Amino acid sequence: MKRVIPRLLFIVLASVLIGFFFVSQSEAFSGRDLAKGAKGDDVIELQARLQYIGFYNGTIDGNFGYGTYWALRKFQEQYGLPVDGIAGKGTKKKLQGVSDYDEKYVKAQLAKGNKFTYYGGQPLEDQVKKGSQSQKQMQAPPKYTDQDIKLLANAVYGESRGEPYEGQVAVAAVILNRVEHPDFPDTIGGVVFQPGAFTAVADGQIWLTPNERAKEAVIDAINGWDPSENAIYYFNPITATSKWIWSRPQIKKIGLHIFCN
Amino acid sequence: MKKMVFFLTYSFIVLGIYTLGTTRENEQLSIALNTQYSNSISDASQKLGELEDAVKKSLLFEDNKSSSKEREDIWRLSSDIKSSIATLPVDESFSTSWMNYLGRLGNFAKESTEQGNPDEYYEVIQKAADNLNELSSEWQVATKGLLSGNLSISHWENKLRDSPDGKANWSKMGQSVMEYTETVFPLTASESDAQKKKDLSGIKEAKIAEEEAIDKFKQLFPNVSNDLIVVDKSRKGSPYPFYHLRFAESSAIGYIDITQKGGHVLSYLVERRMGKPTKDYEELEKLAEQFLKQADYSDLVLEEARENDTAWHFVFVRVNPENGAKVFSDPIHMKMAKDTGEVLGLDASEYIRKEKLAPQPIRKVDWKQFFRPGVEVMDEQLAYVEDRQMQQRLAHYLTVVSDKEKSETYKILVDTDTLEVITTEKQ
Repeated sequence: MKRVIPRLLFIVLASVLIGFFFVSQSEAFSGRDLAKGAKGDDVIELQARLQYIGFYNGTIDGNFGYGTYWALRKFQEQYGLPVDGIAGKGTKKKLQGVSDYDEKYVKAQLAKGNKFTYYGGQPLEDQVKKGSQSQKQMQAPPKYTDQDIKLLANAVYGESRGEPYEGQVAVAAVILNRVEHPDFPDTIGGVVFQPGAFTAVADGQIWLTPNERAKEAVIDAINGWDPSENAIYYFNPITATSKWIWSRPQIKKIGLHIFCN
Repeated sequence: MKKMVFFLTYSFIVLGIYTLGTTRENEQLSIALNTQYSNSISDASQKLGELEDAVKKSLLFEDNKSSSKEREDIWRLSSDIKSSIATLPVDESFSTSWMNYLGRLGNFAKESTEQGNPDEYYEVIQKAADNLNELSSEWQVATKGLLSGNLSISHWENKLRDSPDGKANWSKMGQSVMEYTETVFPLTASESDAQKKKDLSGIKEAKIAEEEAIDKFKQLFPNVSNDLIVVDKSRKGSPYPFYHLRFAESSAIGYIDITQKGGHVLSYLVERRMGKPTKDYEELEKLAEQFLKQADYSDLVLEEARENDTAWHFVFVRVNPENGAKVFSDPIHMKMAKDTGEVLGLDASEYIRKEKLAPQPIRKVDWKQFFRPGVEVMDEQLAYVEDRQMQQRLAHYLTVVSDKEKSETYKILVDTDTLEVITTEKQ
């Protein structure tokens, strides 16, 4: 009996450990396929695992861009998998088998905004430089920076927070249309801060913290939506003081704003 | 009583200190703004003089090369003045016309150096020199007294708009500049073509009725088109007529714009509460493609995809059947919900203004010779893209990696005939 108890304890302990191992394996990647353009925790894990085995040298930021794409293809090629640049079931399984992922370490560095790497075989403490990595919050076409998106969201919130969603997207689109137009400055900052151009800049409301709705409206506008139909001006007919603005050809009215060319 | 006197005295002192602090702060802000505006005005004035000189100097030489520095100066100074004007609260009608004029002048000078006709250059720039001479004197009158210092913010705003005594008539100056633009830089053929595109004059189809537009909406989006549809029309002066339908069903609120000619969807967007994501990339891509087929958009391929918190954004582009080239100016944007897989948005406003594509020779290129060592071409396709002259050009569409270690990726478009690099965009 004395011999049986330690054996039983050993079997129970071993089962728990094996079970824990398999549970943690299956809890790693979620079930979804990862392709170029994806973002989120799954992509962080994908980048970290690819870096662990030396395929990925870029920043671990959770955004599946070209750097991740080429690294994944290289991995698929080397391990005899179909080379499509998509992390499907088979690719993820293989990757899990040949790499490691210290989620706690990676997430902690991201939360602290540290610049870090995650190469296998190197002490983790040597792979961290504090406070120098900014994390991209939204996926946007390459020509837009995080600062552009933030400024646009501030402008949209300050100018049109009480307006329907469509009107908020239209306000963002007008700013983008101005950047492309020869009569206006060539940058988002230049357009937004052009004196007299936006009421929210004049009265300081541009510095209010934008909500998620305003950010979503900006994302839709930079992804191509333009409910204003190419407008470069808008005004509120109740509060507008400029006579000149009434001379512009009007396109449509959304909420309280009239959009025009 | 003593307490009352103490309390009142204390309050007055606190109020006095606060008022003094605020006044000083306002004064400092006023001085800072005064300095900034004065700087912009003096900068714009000085550069206007330099621009006038550069324009005149460029007329001295017979060949393009001798005046290349002056032409470069015209381009640079135009851009600098634009930046200065953009920081001033100048009358909108003046700043709009003035920035347009400067942009055209700068671009004309730059482009004429590369591929201009000398006779045309002298004719245009001679007119521009006369205009600038005229404008310089008007500018001096309008900005007189603006550099005297210590002007309040409201004083600046009054001075940079039309004054009641008519001394500073900014809108009249704006009108003059607009006339200069129309006479010196009339729209080129390609610009005029771009303008026509906006008018959708290419659509020859019959006009549809309001009821037909609603039917089209119901057919394409049956889930959101049962309740409350408000139909509006584009306003008088709109570049092209369309029906603007607004709807609200359950938590979904949105709009769809359908052209009156031909009943094409210009734009559709819905806002609603979003649930937990259940659909992945491949499912959503398939659903988007299915929708496009159902909506009779059959000549498109996926070009880009981007995931955000609640939706994926897809960009599809038209493919020219003759050579399989992608037409970047004819895209359809789609927004697909990650929770249910339904279409949250569609924008076909550029797609329905189909570009006219001209045949163009395709020269074979040895990319190893074209790029520096270490640059690797990962993918090569054909695509139509708008060049600086706003003309559609067939281009080699390359995905290039410059540094294998870091995998810096670029999209490069090279004209198939002239081998000119039209665009280089870092990914």
